[in-house]
Amino acid sequence: MRKYIYIYKSELMSTFQYVINILFRLINFILFIFIFMNLWNYIYDNPNELINGYSKTQMIWYVIITEIIWGAIEGRKYCRKIVDDVRGGNIAYMINKPYSYIGYAVSGHLGETTIRIIISMVVGFTMGIIFLKSFPALTAPAVIIVFISGILAVLINLLLITFIGLISFIIEDSNPIFWLYSKMILVLGVLFPIEYFPGILAKIMRYSPIYVTCYGPAKLFVDFSYMSSAEILLSQIIYLGIAWGMCYLIYKKGVKKLNVTGG
Amino acid sequence: MLQGVKNQLNVTIKTIKYGLMREMINKTSFIMNVIFMILNNASFIIQWIVIYSLKEDVGGYTFNQILLLWAIAASTYGFSHFIFKKAYSLSDLITNGKLDSFLVQPKNVLLACITTDIEVSALGDLLYGYIVLIISGITVSKFILFTFFSITGAIIITDIAVLLGSLSFWIGRSDMIADTGNNLMINFSTYPDGIFKGAARILLLTVIPVGLTAYFPVWIMTKFNFKLTFVIIVITVILTLVTFVIFYRGLRRYSSSNLMISKI
Repeated sequence: MRKYIYIYKSELMSTFQYVINILFRLINFILFIFIFMNLWNYIYDNPNELINGYSKTQMIWYVIITEIIWGAIEGRKYCRKIVDDVRGGNIAYMINKPYSYIGYAVSGHLGETTIRIIISMVVGFTMGIIFLKSFPALTAPAVIIVFISGILAVLINLLLITFIGLISFIIEDSNPIFWLYSKMILVLGVLFPIEYFPGILAKIMRYSPIYVTCYGPAKLFVDFSYMSSAEILLSQIIYLGIAWGMCYLIYKKGVKKLNVTGG
Repeated sequence: MLQGVKNQLNVTIKTIKYGLMREMINKTSFIMNVIFMILNNASFIIQWIVIYSLKEDVGGYTFNQILLLWAIAASTYGFSHFIFKKAYSLSDLITNGKLDSFLVQPKNVLLACITTDIEVSALGDLLYGYIVLIISGITVSKFILFTFFSITGAIIITDIAVLLGSLSFWIGRSDMIADTGNNLMINFSTYPDGIFKGAARILLLTVIPVGLTAYFPVWIMTKFNFKLTFVIIVITVILTLVTFVIFYRGLRRYSSSNLMISKI
């Protein structure tokens, strides 16, 4: 575990050198929040109106939280890196290293993601407080639970993207699969809570990655309850195990194939 | 002069053709890129179905007009990224001294460098635009206007990309500014202008040319307006001329990095 913490720290320090890049990318985040503030302002005729159980303020906070979690990961870049490692043969040089490729990739990217999440949180919360003039009433234990749920959401997302990237062992370029995954998360998870979708679809979504990567932490943030937090955290832990298992299996199978073709 | 334009056009078409042939060597990857991009874009229809289930019109746009907005935004993006892919990495070409090979060609440097490569997935965006146009109700006049505005829109967003990329001639790396500017155009062009109020709306319809590439074309396709069409044509021509002038001004400041690259 210590070696992965070291990789995480190295990437964290290296990302500090490129804070200007992150600040520039933050403009996209601000733009996204700005568009959705305008959209929800337009849709809600009355600020106190409830649509599918959410007030306007809750909806905007929901989008801010999901976008912090999803946007900061920069999944497209991460997936492309894994695909390039597999396609370009770079992965062959990592097989004989004393660490697992999955652990290396996830901990390295987590280092980059940490800085982006911190900056996005500062900007997102500032925008929310300035424009909405309110902040969800959360107790100290609730803040800790939301924070843990957020971290788990990021980890599950990274593992699922790693899995998609490693599909390149089977098909040459798995980037297009990531496009679909990212749009599924964005449209069904980042933009709307599950309650916005019709019955059967909402039920299916409760078992999908959307529930554990977007909906869970954002729902706890805007409408916290200990009952739902237990359910969400349990689902996240189960998903974390499944995602890691999927990565492990595809990597194991892929590396064998790599040996056969000579790397 | 006409012969020169004809020759340039010929070279550009051949470059695109060979780029396409190169990408089609791996057919599975080629088809997957195109199909998945179409599916990727189609997912946003869900977003608008949900939004329109809450309100009958959003920002003064009906559901059909939103489809048109998405169609024009996708095909504009598709045209531009398919034909002028390198306009979006111009900053890298300039700062890393990769323009050398284009300078020695007896053709227009800007056109040669931005058409040197194609983006396969952009073909999916382009096709998606026409698929959505068919879904929203196609007529001959709508098809002609749609194709025309996709081309003018593509030229405008390519101009913006070249202008932002050309900043590298003066300030060094400008890729972050260019990426931010290009993303800004894409993000705004997929939401109706009516949801924005005050200064933001004025900016979108004036300084940030999203109005020219997305909003005005939808208005014109809904109800033809000659004046607005004329404005789009005039601004497209002026912006393109300005782009060429700025790029060539900047080119005087370009210095090679003696980079050895092979162009096949």
